[in-house]
Amino acid sequence: MATEPTRLMGLFDKEEQAVSAIRSLRDDGFTLERVHGPIPSHLIADALALPKSRVGWFTLAGGITGFLAGFLLAIFTATRWHLIVSGKPVVALVPFVIVGFEFTILFAVFGNVLGLISQARLPRFGPIAPYDPRLTGHKFGVLASCNAARQKDLHHFFEGKGAQIIADEGGQS
Amino acid sequence: MSETALTYQMVDDTVLDTLRPPEKTYWVTVALLFVGILLGAGCWLYQILTGIGVGGQNNPVHWGTYLINFVFWVGIAHSGTLISAILHLFRAGWRNPIARAAETMTVFAVCTAGLYPFIHLGRVWMVFYMLPLPNQRTLWPNFTSPLMFDVVAISTYLTVSSLFWFTGMLPDLAIIRDRAQGLRRKIFAVLSLGWTGEYEQWRHYARGYLFFAALATPLVISVHSVVSWDFALGVVPGWHTTIFAPYFVAGAIHSGLAMVITLMIPLRKIFHYEKIITIGVLEMVAKTIVFTGLIVGFAYGTEVFIAWYSHNIVEMETFRWRALGDYALEYWIMVTCNTVIPLLFLFKPVRTSLKWLFVISIFVNIGMWYERFVIIIGSVAHDFIPYAWGLYRPTIVEFGIMLGSFCLFFFLFVLFVKHLPSVSMTEIKEALPAGGGHGD
Repeated sequence: MATEPTRLMGLFDKEEQAVSAIRSLRDDGFTLERVHGPIPSHLIADALALPKSRVGWFTLAGGITGFLAGFLLAIFTATRWHLIVSGKPVVALVPFVIVGFEFTILFAVFGNVLGLISQARLPRFGPIAPYDPRLTGHKFGVLASCNAARQKDLHHFFEGKGAQIIADEGGQS
Repeated sequence: MSETALTYQMVDDTVLDTLRPPEKTYWVTVALLFVGILLGAGCWLYQILTGIGVGGQNNPVHWGTYLINFVFWVGIAHSGTLISAILHLFRAGWRNPIARAAETMTVFAVCTAGLYPFIHLGRVWMVFYMLPLPNQRTLWPNFTSPLMFDVVAISTYLTVSSLFWFTGMLPDLAIIRDRAQGLRRKIFAVLSLGWTGEYEQWRHYARGYLFFAALATPLVISVHSVVSWDFALGVVPGWHTTIFAPYFVAGAIHSGLAMVITLMIPLRKIFHYEKIITIGVLEMVAKTIVFTGLIVGFAYGTEVFIAWYSHNIVEMETFRWRALGDYALEYWIMVTCNTVIPLLFLFKPVRTSLKWLFVISIFVNIGMWYERFVIIIGSVAHDFIPYAWGLYRPTIVEFGIMLGSFCLFFFLFVLFVKHLPSVSMTEIKEALPAGGGHGD
């Protein structure tokens, strides 16, 4: 009969300790589940070998949409009344560049926000466990799992890396 | 840098300490500012009920303090994005302690600026004519007008800077949530969108923030360029010049940086931010003010030179009159406050003294307000035909509205500093050498 997996989180004071734990976890046969930290640490990101974020594609799509929307809006409103103003053509592309540019930025930012919240899966109000309130402040957390039979090994592993250990008992609401 | 003594926990404690329930003096300040807002609102209401004629704008000066204040506040808004976006792209670490307050200043300054076109409209309920919406006369805005460029640019700037500001605050809101109890915790749980500092979140956040900065940078340059084209696309002497866009952008950053110092010095003192907002940080802002002041001074000189070099008698008369005519006092206040006084920052004892920093920043703020006065009033008051020349002075109603707008800006800022983190805890931690110490 297969044993239930168990999860433990090691809380570290320094990012270097967290990086060391992340690099050794897999070698020791444990499964790395999540890593938390108060800053966007490049050291941790490198250790996790995270793929490049796809937020940029949302930004690009937003920007292209905005560019077209800005020009088309200006052309649409100008062609409702064919009035020549200040000797400019009715569809005056040079001044419309400004509208196109501003809409490009605006919609690119909308795309960026959409990409950010969809990719980072925000908002997320449900509880997550294990979690420690110090993770957003000054601690780095590494969550790992293993077979229940190896729980002590995982415990020793985190202790050896200088971590304070919290078990999977409660969550953040 | 004295930041080496800081730990992550000390950063959190210092910033979160500012959010403790305020003392009575705080609420007295809030109440006084609110009275100022009511005074301004009362003046505006009086103008709506009586007519736009209660302001001093009349032939030949139709753009008075309402436009001066509009340009002034848009200018103030610019340094926030410079500090948060442009300096972020350049990886200038000294911007971290002041970035949040500068971004906040940007958002509130754009809100304040945005009120002035409404006030100047007179019949404010007709404001929807500026929007591309079908109306009862089937008329649409014409996007060949620089005033319509302004509508698009300012509303884009307000939206983008607000989103940038809120996104940058997400990790800090989570810190407050994790230290709060009861209702406060629930409020910050919603505001922080469930941020937990997971690296899956940081991965997308860092990328998104970088794109925000990359998009805000050209935007901030475009916005004040567009504001300058409100003038430069007209044929009025003193306005119709290609130098206006860079001149306005440099001026905007100049005034915004001065306002950053004006706000940071009391903030640093009241909230005991001495270890975070160091003298070194303020010194860097002062050095940047010297640079922007020199650009602005160069623009003043170029305007006069080109007027002389062009042999255009109308241009020459405009600039002669600016320096020696009815508004000569305002012109020389502008020149002295914006280009001469900031040069005092070349001396280290001046730029490292809080008193001097504060006093000079106030002078630059005054000088930049007068710059807008000189440009806007000085040109239309004295353009092509001597028969049409005239003078303008603001009325008491305009002063009341102006006072209200200043109170509104400081009211919003004072509320902000006591309810949301006025320094970015996350960015300070990022700047600590080798992760700083971690305490606990």
